[in-house]
Amino acid sequence: MAHGKEEKHALPFSKEVKEQLGGETITLCYQCGTCASSCPVAKITPKFNPREVIKLSLWDERQGILSGDAIWLCCSCYNCQERCPQKVEIADVIYALRNIAIKEGNVPKIYSEFANGLINEGRIVPLSKFVEKKRPDYGLPPLEPAGVEALRKILSATGFDKLQQKKEEAS
Amino acid sequence: MEKVEVGVFLSDCGNQLSKTLDFEALLKHVKQVPGVALVARASEFWRGEGLKTLLEAIQGKKVNRVVVAEGLPKLSEVNIVEEVEKAGFNPYLVEVIDLKDHCAWPHRNTPKEATEKAKAMLLAAIERAKLFEPLEKLEFPALKSVLVIGGGIAGMQVAEDLADLGFKVHLVEKTPFLGGLAARAGRFFPTDDCAICIQSPASDVKTITHTSRKCVYRSGLSEIPNLNILTNAKVVKVEGVPGNYKVTVEKKPRYVNEQKCIRCDLCTTVCPVGVPDEYNAKLKKRKAIYINVPPVHPPVYVIDESVCKFHDCGKCVEICPTKAVELDQKSKQVTFNVGGIVVATGFQEYDPSVVKEYHYDEYPDVITNLELARMIDGFGPTNGMVIRPSNRKPAKRVVMVQCVGSRDRRWNPWCSSICCMISLKHAMLIKSAYPDTDVTICYIDIRTTGREHEYYYEKARDMGIKFVKGRPTEIGHDPEADLLIVDVEDAVSQRLLELEADLVVLAPAMVPPEGTKELAEMLSIELEEDGFFKEYNAKLRPTETKLRGVFLCGGATFPKDAPTTSLHAHSAAVKAAKFLSKGKIVKYQRTAVINEDYCGDCEFCPVTCPYNAINLVQKDEEHFVAQVSDLLCEGCGVCVGTCPVNAIELRHSRPNQMAAQMKALMSINGTSKPLILAMCCSECGHTAVDSSGMAMMQYPANVRVMKVPCTGILQVHQFLEAFKAGAQGVMVVGCKSDGCHYEVGSPTAKKRVDLAKMLLKEYGIAPERLEMFNMVFIEGDKFAEAARMMTERVEKLGLLRLTGAS
Repeated sequence: MAHGKEEKHALPFSKEVKEQLGGETITLCYQCGTCASSCPVAKITPKFNPREVIKLSLWDERQGILSGDAIWLCCSCYNCQERCPQKVEIADVIYALRNIAIKEGNVPKIYSEFANGLINEGRIVPLSKFVEKKRPDYGLPPLEPAGVEALRKILSATGFDKLQQKKEEAS
Repeated sequence: MEKVEVGVFLSDCGNQLSKTLDFEALLKHVKQVPGVALVARASEFWRGEGLKTLLEAIQGKKVNRVVVAEGLPKLSEVNIVEEVEKAGFNPYLVEVIDLKDHCAWPHRNTPKEATEKAKAMLLAAIERAKLFEPLEKLEFPALKSVLVIGGGIAGMQVAEDLADLGFKVHLVEKTPFLGGLAARAGRFFPTDDCAICIQSPASDVKTITHTSRKCVYRSGLSEIPNLNILTNAKVVKVEGVPGNYKVTVEKKPRYVNEQKCIRCDLCTTVCPVGVPDEYNAKLKKRKAIYINVPPVHPPVYVIDESVCKFHDCGKCVEICPTKAVELDQKSKQVTFNVGGIVVATGFQEYDPSVVKEYHYDEYPDVITNLELARMIDGFGPTNGMVIRPSNRKPAKRVVMVQCVGSRDRRWNPWCSSICCMISLKHAMLIKSAYPDTDVTICYIDIRTTGREHEYYYEKARDMGIKFVKGRPTEIGHDPEADLLIVDVEDAVSQRLLELEADLVVLAPAMVPPEGTKELAEMLSIELEEDGFFKEYNAKLRPTETKLRGVFLCGGATFPKDAPTTSLHAHSAAVKAAKFLSKGKIVKYQRTAVINEDYCGDCEFCPVTCPYNAINLVQKDEEHFVAQVSDLLCEGCGVCVGTCPVNAIELRHSRPNQMAAQMKALMSINGTSKPLILAMCCSECGHTAVDSSGMAMMQYPANVRVMKVPCTGILQVHQFLEAFKAGAQGVMVVGCKSDGCHYEVGSPTAKKRVDLAKMLLKEYGIAPERLEMFNMVFIEGDKFAEAARMMTERVEKLGLLRLTGAS
C-alpha cells in the first residue's frame, strides 16, 4: 500500500468513514463476502465488489476509493445490506463514501448532470420531446413544471447547491 | 465489658524497614496511645520466634486485641489468622497492616515523612482494633448428595465421578434415553470414534482396567450403587438453600417396565403406528413404541404417548413375552434432599430456517450437521450411507456452509466454536467412505484451535476436500437438473461461484436448549446475555455459580467439544465434592446485620444484594423488615451503602470502626503536602497499592490508605466525613467496573462518587477533590500515578477550610 504518497489526513480513512453519516458500521465487516455474492452489479462487472470497497476503506486506501469508479457503480438494491451477517449497512457505507468523495470534488459527470437538473428543473432526468409526445398515447396528462423555488430553498439550506458549485469550479 | 488491651507487634523485616522508618520513634509513639498494653518489635511476626511472642501474649491474656505491622501482609495474615485461631483467639480481633509496601518502600526517599505516615497508620489500626468484636463461627448442614440435571456426556461424567467419590447422585434426564447431543452426533473429533465414550465406572472392575475407555451403553452406568438414574423426568421444584435443597422431580410414564423389558423387539413388529423419526433426522419412520437406536441406555422401550392408541390397540401388550408393557402407568412425582446441584443441560442446534435465503424448510436436500451425523452413523437411518433425502440416491456433490445463524448479529453473534471441526470431521468421513464424492466447505474463517485440530484441517486438504472462503448469499434450486446451486464469492481467488450440489449441509449455531430460562429461575442462578448459564468467573471458577451449591458443566455454559466437556465435568465434580465433603459448611459470621428499629418497608437492599442473601419478612401486620441469610451473605457491604436509613452494618466493618480509622489516618500529617485519603476495596484496590509498593514506585506520603471490604459499602456521607476529618482530597479505589469481585460494588460506588461530587459543588467544595479510580492488582503504576496526580491537583486547588472542622 502506498501510504507514504497519499495526502495526510487528520484521521485514518476508516475512522473518517465511521464518523460520516451512514458509515458507522464499517468496522464490523469480517469479509465473509455475502455482499459480493448478493450483488447484481458484481455479477456483470469486475469493477465493483462491495467486499473489496470495504476492505480497501478499512486499509485506509483513501485516494484509490475516492477517485475510483467503484463506489458510483452500486445500484442501491440493498441485497447486501439485508443479508450481511454483521449488520454492516453496506449500501449506506457506500453513500457515506460518495458523500466524502463529493466533498473532495470527485463526482462522475452523470451525477453532476443529475444535480444540475435537480437545481434547475426540479428533475433528475430532463424532460425530453420524446416523453412529452408519448404521454398522451398512454392517457397521461402533460407534465407541469416542477415547483423549483421550494426545492431550491431546501437545496440551499442543506448546502447542496454549494457542493455542486464547488464541483463545477474543480472541473 | 472487658477492658481493651491492644498488643502492637512491629516487624522491621530484618532491619530493612528501619533503614527508612525511625523505629524508635514509632515504638515511642505507639506506647503512649491509650489502650495499648504491649508493644513488641521483631524481624517478623508471622512465623518463628516473632509468632511465638505474639501467641504467648494472647495465651497469657496480656492482650485481647492484636495489631501486627508486617512486610508480607497478604501471606502473613493467612498464617497469623490460622495460628491465633489454633491458640483459641478469635481471628476477627486481629488487624494486620503493611508498613513495607504501603509506607517504607513507596516513600523511601522521604524517610521523615514516611515515619510520620507510619505513625498515622499504626494509630488507625489501633483505634480500629479497639472497636473490634469477636465474630461467631457458624455451621450449616451440607448433605452428601447431589442432583445432576442433564444426562448427556457432561451429566453422565459428573454423576459417575461423584457417585464414585461416595456421594448419592440423582441423574435426571428429560428424554427417555441417556446420551444427549453426544449420542446423536455419532462420532467425535479428534478421535473419530464413538461419541459416547466415557471413563469406565468403578463397578465394572472385572473387565475394565483404569486405562481402558468404555461407552455408556456398555458401562454398567446403571449398576453404580450410589447412582439413581431418572430418565423421561424433569425437575419441577427446588426449595431450600445450598447444602440442603429439597428437589421435586416429575417422572413421566414410560409405559414399559424397566425391570421386565428384555428388548426382544417383538412390540415394534406389531405396533401399527408409524411416525417420522425425529431423532434420526426424519429419514426413517419409527413406531409408537420405540428406542432411538439399538444400543441405548436404559435398554428399555418407551411409548410415545402423543401417537399411541393405548387400549384401543393393545397389540404390544399381547405380544410382550415378559408382560413389560404397562399402559396404565401414571406420571409420578418424587422428592429427595440434596446438598448440591450440577447443571449439565448442554446446548442444541439452532433452527436454521430463520436464515430464509438458505431455504432449509423448503428444500429437503438442505440439511444440518446433526442430520448428516445421523446418516453417517452406522446405527442411523441410512446405515451409514450419505444420501439425498429428496430421492434417497447417493449424494455425489456435497457443499457445506459454515456459520449459519452463528457469528451473525441478526441471530446469534457468537462463534459456536465446534462447527468447523464437526464439518471437517464429516467431510473426511464422507471422503474416506466414498472417495469419489466431491466435498466443498464454504467458510468465513476456519477455526481449529485445539490439540490435533489443525492436523484435521491439514488432512482434509490432503484428502482433496475443497475450501471456499466465502459465506454463500443464497442456496438456489434448479428443478430441471434437480440440483442445488450455492451462490458464493471466493474471496481468495476473487471469483463469484455457483457451486452445484446434491446435498447442502448447514452448520447451524449452537444455542441454549429450551427451558434454560425457566431452570435458571428455579435455581436462582443467572444467565449470560447469550442465554447460556453464567459461571462465577470465566477464568478461575468456570464450573461454579455465584450461588454456592449450584455448579455448571459442559455445554450449559457455552458450546464445547467433548474433550473440554470432560474436563468441565470432572471440574464440577471436584467443586461439588469440595463443597459437600465435610458434611457441613463452616463460616465465620462475617456478614451484614440489620437494625430492625430503623429498617422498614423499602426494597433497596434485597434488590441490590448480588447474592440474593436478603429477604423481606413480616415484622408486624403492616411492616416488613429485611433479613440477612448468614449462609448466603458474602460480607461485601453493598447493602450497607444502599440503605437509605443506615439500618445495615457489617459485623466485620462497623461504621464506628471505619470512622475511627479515618480520623486517625488524618490526625498526623508530617508532610508539606495536603492529606489525601484513599479508600480502597480489599480486592483489586488495596492490592494495587500493595503492588505499587512492591515495585518501589514512589508517591508522596500524604496519601493514606484505608481498606474497606468493597467500595460498594461506601455511602455518600462517608466521603463528606473524610473531608471533615481533615482530608484535602479523597480517592476511591475499586476494581474495574466489569471486574468487581462482588459484581455490583464498584459500579455502585462510581454512582455514589458522582452524586457526592454534586453535593460537594453545592457546599462550595471543588468536586475534583473527590475521584474514583478503577484498577487491577498488577496496576500498581496506575495507583502511584493516581496518587501523584491527586496530590498535585489538590495542591493547585489550595487549602480547604471547613467551618466547624478541626
